[in-house]
Amino acid sequence: VQLGSRLAILLGLIIGLALVPWLLNPYLVFVTNLAFIYAILALGLNLLLGYTGQFAFANAAFFGIGAYAAGLLQVKLGISFCLALPGAALLTAAIGVVVGLPALRLSGMYLALVTLAFAQFTQWVMIHWDSFTFGAGGFKSPAPSFGPLPLGTEQGMYYLSLVAAVALTILTWNITRSRIGRAFVAIRDSEVAAQALAIDLAAYKTMAFALSAFYAGMAGALYSAVLRFVAPEGFDLFQMVLHFSMVVVGGLASIAGSILGAALILALQEALRMVKGIQEILFGGLLMVAIVFLPDGLFSFLRSLLSAWGEPLHRPTGATRALWGKMHDDPP
Amino acid sequence: MGSMFLYLVLSGLTNGSLYALLALGLVIIYKATTVVNFAHGEVFMMGGFFAYTFYVLLGLAYPASLLLAVALSLLLGMVTERLAYRPLIKASAISMVLASVGFSFVLRGVARVTWGGKGDFIPFPPIFSYDPIVLGSLLITPQQLIILSGALMCMGVFAAFFRWTKLGKMMQATAENQRAAALVGIRVERVFAIIWGVGACVGALAGVLMAPVTLLYPDIGATLLVKAFASAVLGGFGNLPGAALGGLSMGVIENLAGGYLHTSLVDISAFLVIMLVLVVRPTGFFGAKAVRKV
Repeated sequence: VQLGSRLAILLGLIIGLALVPWLLNPYLVFVTNLAFIYAILALGLNLLLGYTGQFAFANAAFFGIGAYAAGLLQVKLGISFCLALPGAALLTAAIGVVVGLPALRLSGMYLALVTLAFAQFTQWVMIHWDSFTFGAGGFKSPAPSFGPLPLGTEQGMYYLSLVAAVALTILTWNITRSRIGRAFVAIRDSEVAAQALAIDLAAYKTMAFALSAFYAGMAGALYSAVLRFVAPEGFDLFQMVLHFSMVVVGGLASIAGSILGAALILALQEALRMVKGIQEILFGGLLMVAIVFLPDGLFSFLRSLLSAWGEPLHRPTGATRALWGKMHDDPP
Repeated sequence: MGSMFLYLVLSGLTNGSLYALLALGLVIIYKATTVVNFAHGEVFMMGGFFAYTFYVLLGLAYPASLLLAVALSLLLGMVTERLAYRPLIKASAISMVLASVGFSFVLRGVARVTWGGKGDFIPFPPIFSYDPIVLGSLLITPQQLIILSGALMCMGVFAAFFRWTKLGKMMQATAENQRAAALVGIRVERVFAIIWGVGACVGALAGVLMAPVTLLYPDIGATLLVKAFASAVLGGFGNLPGAALGGLSMGVIENLAGGYLHTSLVDISAFLVIMLVLVVRPTGFFGAKAVRKV
């Protein structure tokens, strides 16, 4: 019965979302479309940060790489969008594997530093490699056409994003309930214990990086086609703060939380179209407040309101601290 | 060729001494609390803006502005500790780092709203307008000498502080072993608050020294933070002399790479250093071998 009511809620939600292009004005359709993209980003980051406990700054960079890859594949190589989209996602996943390689040797803050350097480096390349990336001004990405289907570009992108978001949500759900997801959680809670359980740390960490990069790359490719414009501005560290806010406010290691957080952050961003300084104060402050006062995220409210919501709560425990090497606490 | 090399090394040392100061602040906090303060770059930036406010906007004397800016930054460091560190002392380290990332953006936003928008670079007038000193074929600006000597003096003062004062020894004890420090009657929380304050002071000093040579802008903290990270990583994170040496070498490395290989390397050598050092030799080049504890 519980499973049935949850399925009913989700199916109702999806059908409602599918009707949006006929019911709402173009601006709201556009915002809902962005919400799908943000949800994909949050799901991918949560796999890496919430489930696997790998703290990395690379998500915004992956998002940008996906957007640039999709745009440049079309503009420079003349590849059609239906190939550029999966191509961009796969390319980003491959870069994710490379970025994840140091994670096999490093953990905790060192990983954070390497990925921060990678993110800044990516931003620098986007701005300074003019001949290839069109520099700081960015470039126009062509409007994808949806050929035989009776859909305009906006509607087509809306349904494509919806399908991608639903598919990746189902994929995440299945991953987290499978052997892979449990290995991720085991690695997060204790690498030593995970190794003792014969979990291949190298393989699973690489997989977590590749997966989250794939999600971010897919989101980036969709984003470039929805905005039809790609510029380095949107993929800086502030974007990373938005991603962190989504997963923390929504709920670390929670699928419903990722989607909730993504929707909330986007709604805030759109409702309060403010100057950059105010946005920085607001979202930076939100991140701090959420960590201090709402460590389980909004998801914990959802769980207490809807008793039918049976998503297992893979909460990060204090054991995560062990990952970071509390070196000075105890005498050897 | 010879003079160009000397010039690059000297100006590299000047910049490097600032990176060293910034890295010292990071490492002081890291050693005591095992938290990497991602808001440290913004503390540096705020230090510069505080000095700008007192010196340029309010027209105070430079020494007074310097002291006021450093005092305000001490307060800022303690506020960081109270807001981002103490409530999370029992939470996971990831939460703590996330909170400091959030706080860094709050500060950046405050600076942007208060002192100007993105792209507004604020010039800071030179403090002394003496003529450059000519040494053989080498041209040295007085500002470079001030930065270099100021930074070296700060490092000396902090080394003496840690070695000879009671407070410094209490900090060392707390960093070494919190529980044992509490057992011998050290108020660990209070020491933490002071450590965050001291770390911020060092960062702000770097900001005040730097402001006259570069322009001030709200995003300068992020740029400099990466260079400070590179310095700390070169020296083996958690090693104070290592951080100082790492900072000086970072400044020289980026200048030489920029001068002899390609100018763009000035911007990106810090990223490359971080990635290379952490992948090849995570314990740094001046640090002791770290033992991985289970």
